[in-house]
Amino acid sequence: MLTLAWTYLRIGLIFFGGGYVLIPLLQHLLVEQYKWLTLREFLDGVAISQLTPGPLAMLATFTGVRVAGFGGGLVATICIFAPCIVLMLFVGRYYARLKEIDLIRSTLDGVLPAVVGLVASAAWSLGTTLGSLREWLTLLVAFCIFRWTRINPMVMILGAGIIGMLF
Amino acid sequence: MTPDSHQHPPVSLWEIFALFCTVGLTGFGGGMAIVALAERMVVKERQWVSPEEFLHGLAFGQILGPFSLNTCTFVGYRLRGVAGGLLAAAGFLLPSFLIVSLLAWLYLRFQHLHLLQKALAGTNPVVIGLICAVVLDMGKKQVRGGGAWLLALATFAAAALLKLNVALVLAASLVWALAAAFHKRGTS
Repeated sequence: MLTLAWTYLRIGLIFFGGGYVLIPLLQHLLVEQYKWLTLREFLDGVAISQLTPGPLAMLATFTGVRVAGFGGGLVATICIFAPCIVLMLFVGRYYARLKEIDLIRSTLDGVLPAVVGLVASAAWSLGTTLGSLREWLTLLVAFCIFRWTRINPMVMILGAGIIGMLF
Repeated sequence: MTPDSHQHPPVSLWEIFALFCTVGLTGFGGGMAIVALAERMVVKERQWVSPEEFLHGLAFGQILGPFSLNTCTFVGYRLRGVAGGLLAAAGFLLPSFLIVSLLAWLYLRFQHLHLLQKALAGTNPVVIGLICAVVLDMGKKQVRGGGAWLLALATFAAAALLKLNVALVLAASLVWALAAAFHKRGTS
């Protein structure tokens, strides 16, 4: 449980840029390094955490529950969010005086291309779970729909689940 | 302790918790949809914080972690200090936490069911498709110029092909970006 807490705390300290960077980070740590869950289970977890209004980081809750039950989910959730909550409390207090903000902003803007590269690498390794032509076609169709419409991911995932169940 | 009291009477901690619980329960759509919902409830309907203050919270919220959660924490803090911030964050996360815990429990219990396996297998390519669309969308907005392309390609190669530690790659990129930011400030 301590390893779990420490792992999620570390992740919480380094994730920025909207949360998608969590996918490569968690995938690397949980699937490849600790082998707490399989790549398939990880993908299922992403689908499930997209079904809630919470941030993508709810993926931490899912993986925590998978590794150590309800308590694991609670510990994972608290630890992954603790760093950013503490930081925001601090910012709320001193925000009028944070003069170096332009430096922080341009650093963060500068690191975003790296986030894009890492998220792409996550898609790359998650793609190895796909086998059949049908799955690749689904991927293509889903990509096009996400690309050219503003449809809610939750609706798409629910729909895909129902279609998968029926056919 | 209230960091700065506005003209109206202080908001109770329970009100903060209940409001952000509502946001966390009804804000389907994630990210910006949540921020828009919170803005309507907190700024327009209740006037708890000014629009400028809300925007500052949103700007700072992009530093670390999810900005939807950070904006809620920020507003809670501005209203009622540390307790307000913590309750706003807890209220916002609670509904999603319960939903995911329940779904994860159901998932682990019924994972072997053929029907559920088929449903989840149906969602897998869609999730990857979503991630690809995010990559393209972020790439178009964030990857501008030769240096940015080089960084994106280098991190992709390091993580996907060389299988380097993702956290280390990210940390190295952060150092790189900080150096670049210093350099930019020095020259301008």
